[in-house]
Order: sequence, then C-alpha cells, then structure tokens
Amino acid sequence: MDLLIDSFISAFFLIFSFDAEMIFIVGVSLKVSIASTLIAGIVGVPAGFMIAFESFPGKRIVITVLNTLLALPTVVIGLFVYTFISRRGIFGPFDLLYTQKAIIIGQVILIIPVVTVFTITAINRIDERYRKTAMTLGANRIQTAWVIFREARFGIIAAIIASFGRVISEVGISMMLGGNIKGFTRTMTTAMALEYDKGAFILSIALGIVLLGISFGMNMLFHFFQGRSRA
Amino acid sequence: MTVYELHQLTKIYDERTVLDIPDLKIKENRIYSLLGPNGTGKTTLLNILGFLEPPSGGKITYRSKPVRFVESELQALRRDVILVDQFPILFTATVWKNLEFGLKVRKISKGKRTRMIQEALDLVGMRDFALAQAHKLSGGETQRVALARALALSPRVFLCDEPTSSVDVENQAIILNILKRINQTKRMTIVFTTHDRTQARTISDQTLVLDRGRLLEAGYDNIFSAVPDLNSLGETKCVIHPNISLLMDSHKIKPAKDRFRILIDPKQIHPLRKAGKEFPVNVLQGIVRQVVDENSKIRVVVDSGVRLILLMTEKTYRHSQIFVGDSITYYIPPQAIQAID
Repeated sequence: MDLLIDSFISAFFLIFSFDAEMIFIVGVSLKVSIASTLIAGIVGVPAGFMIAFESFPGKRIVITVLNTLLALPTVVIGLFVYTFISRRGIFGPFDLLYTQKAIIIGQVILIIPVVTVFTITAINRIDERYRKTAMTLGANRIQTAWVIFREARFGIIAAIIASFGRVISEVGISMMLGGNIKGFTRTMTTAMALEYDKGAFILSIALGIVLLGISFGMNMLFHFFQGRSRA
Repeated sequence: MTVYELHQLTKIYDERTVLDIPDLKIKENRIYSLLGPNGTGKTTLLNILGFLEPPSGGKITYRSKPVRFVESELQALRRDVILVDQFPILFTATVWKNLEFGLKVRKISKGKRTRMIQEALDLVGMRDFALAQAHKLSGGETQRVALARALALSPRVFLCDEPTSSVDVENQAIILNILKRINQTKRMTIVFTTHDRTQARTISDQTLVLDRGRLLEAGYDNIFSAVPDLNSLGETKCVIHPNISLLMDSHKIKPAKDRFRILIDPKQIHPLRKAGKEFPVNVLQGIVRQVVDENSKIRVVVDSGVRLILLMTEKTYRHSQIFVGDSITYYIPPQAIQAID
C-alpha cells in the first residue's frame, strides 16, 4: 500500500514539475494520435456518409465487414503492417519501421472502421423527413446530402472523438511498429509498459494519470456531442 | 388550367397495391381535400404529386407535360410544388435560417430573401420568432413555421399532409385560414389531406375520397356494411339494416361474400312526394335531421334507422321543400349502390 501511495505522490510531483521526458512522451502520443485521427476522419467520414446515404448492392455486407473490423486486435494490425514496412516488405525501402509514421499508419487502419461505422450510425439516426423536406424545398442531391450532414454533425464529431480515444490508449501498434525508442517513438502506453517491466512505477503512474485525464476529457466531449446529436 | 392529370396510376409496395387511380384531374387555383381512413394511400398520393416518390405504373402530366420520374427532371418540378408533412421537421437552426434554405437553393438575392421571409412569417403570425431556435418551438408553432417555409417559396401547388392533425383547435383555425387566404390571394392550388369531413367541406372546392387506394366518386358518406339478402329470389339484394333490403344493380355487385361494404351515391338519391308504383323497390322513409348548404349543394341527413346523406342541387331542394324534422320518402336507384369490397 505504501508503494502505491508513494508512487502516486511522486507521480503528481513529476506531473507538476513538468518533467521533460514525460512531456516529450505525452507530446509524441498526442502528435501521432491527432495525426492518425485526422487522416482516419478524412477517409472515414466521407466513406461512412456515402455508405449511409447511398443505396448500392452489397451495402449490408460492407457494413457487416466494417462492424467486424471494429474488433480487429491491435497486434494483428501491427503484424500486418510490419509485413509491408519491414526491410523485406514491399514498402521496406521507405524506412518506415520504428518511426512515428509507422505508428500513424497502423493507427489509421485501426480507427478507419470506427470512424466509418460511427458516421454510418450518426447518418442513419437522422430522421428520413430531413431528406424529404430538403428535396421538397427544391434542394438538389448535393444540397440534400449537406442538410443530412449538418444534422448529423454532432454524431460525426462524436465518432471522431471516440476514434481519438481508441488510438491514444492503444499499445500494440505503437510497440510493434514504433519500437518504443526513447526520444523518437516512445508513447505514453509503450512507456508505461516499459517502466512497469523495469519496476519503476513513478513515470508509469504519472503517464497513467495523464492518459486517464485525456481519456476523461475526450469522454466528456464525446458525451457532450452525443447529447447534442440526440437533442 | 389542369395542373395534374393522373391516368391509370398505381403504386405497389411489396406486391400490395396501395394506390389505384384510373383518372384524376386537379385544376389550377382550387382547394382539394383528400379524405380517407389511415393507410388508404393519401400520403402516398401526396408524395407522388410532390414528385418525391415515383408511381409503380400509369401516367402523370403536370401542366400538360408528361412527368418522367428521373432525378434530373424532377428538381425543376419540385421547385413548383411543395409538400408539408403531417409532422413537419424543421432544420436544427433558427426559424429564419429554415425559411432561408429554399430561397438560397433558388439563388434568390439577399435583399429579396429578407423581404420574402418577413412576408411569409407575417402571413403565419410568427415574425417575433424569426431568431428562435426552430427545434424549441411547440407543435402548432412548428406547423406554422413549416407553412411559412413553404409559402416563402410561392409554389404553384401546395400539398399539405394533415396540416391540422397535430395542433390544437386554435392553431387549426389559424392554419385553415392561412390555406384559404393563400389560395385566394396567391392563387395557389392546394391539396390537403384530412380526417375531418366538416373541415374538408368548409374550405375545399372539391373533396376527393380515397378508400384502400381507390378514389370513391360518390364521396365518403354513405358507406355501409352489408350482407347478401338470402330471401331475394333471383335478385341481387343486400341488407344494411334489419328493415332495409336494397336491390342492387347486378353489374355493380361483386361475387358472393358473407359480408361486404356498399357505397350509396348521395347525388343519385331522389326525394319523393309519396311512394308510388313507379318505384316498387328501394323506397325508404326517414326523418330529416340536418340540412346544410355545402358549396352550392344541399346536404340532407336523413335517419331511416341508418343515417343516410342526400346531396341535391339548390333547385331540387327548393322544389322538394324538405325541412328539419320532416318525414320524407326517398328512392335509391339500384345503380346508385356499389359494392366496394
């Protein structure tokens, strides 16, 4: 019990002393997570919108596949991307392995299904009467789509926030593709795993507190936007 | 001018025919009410008239031009015709932005937009709500803003799906007055659905009645549940009351069924001075309960054990001298009786 209390007290000191190593690790985590969320948003939001808005053969199969991909383990993605970017992989010459770019690639693959599926859900939840109203008021197809998008905007923002929450807290991809290299690819989760292995809990707990704080903030935002989308 | 002409129009959902209209003409500058029970195809017909849903078969012409239900052609037509839903939905924005949407889509200049929005809000008495958040309005206010949003666009045809069903009595009167006023001042053709026969008769020039997807020419009033008269010898008779057995035109009866519904055309029922030999059958007696002037027709409600409606011209009425409380005799020609299912 003393270990826990002492570690917590030291962790808080570490946080409020703005320890350089800790700040760097948090910075790397935020950088790769924001980058992967933005890329996944750019791809996933339009994809989810098109899937929800349009009717096409095989639509249900596409949604089923996307739903299945939600459960994709991070280590599987890590392994999959590794085969492409390792020295012997087809993207080997780009020297991506054990870089922040590699982590971003893996995380984008992880959360594209999340953004897409949540966007589909947000669009599907919009009352069909919005489409009908826009059409009867003379809107063309693009203007009608824009009306639907606007009405679903809070749900879509919630989708993006949920995706960010997923990547900031993942460890498998960051470890396998980033390699947990100090000063380069060490993220909060990989650093915590390493510190735990070393038996040094202070930095680990400090990072855990920061991670929980970020997750809490994200959840607050998520519920705020979800609430707006239901209003 | 005829705005719509529908010919052999059908709509089929999952192999079920929900609309089957052989012929229908809707003329310019008139108000039409569309009556009928729930699930009878009223909303489907409005959706088709609003070019929001294609029919399964048949032809529609709009202002003498055949309508092809292809997206590229429909948008121009939709800018002429606006449908307001039974439960209208307003965009998550201010009332002003809601009204502005259709005008922006039509690329109307800002100055003109402002004037048109103010006029439309004045028309429905909602100017003070211009900057209110639309999703926070009450049901009646929402309905009025939805009307204003449509009216701001000055459509040629205004379709309203049960505009008064979800509002209180005060708002019902306001909405009906708005419909009447825009028809008179802006010369709009209006088609609205309702369950309220009085409302339909009060403001519309013509009442259309849909029953299971089919238009009933004779209206909605004299529909009775009937059983075949087993005592009739070789004649096609039906019983609608223990004391009332009516001879039907053999061409208008459907195959033997235990129970069916009949429709008696109120326009074909003749009041008689007294029962004579020239009409040996289908002569009934009853007490006059109500006489109403209805768009230059006189509607007489007679209690003969069942409540029957007679619809006659003013001339016929004056000639027959029928008053409330009188006992009258009337004749129902067999061809006025039609089995409807």
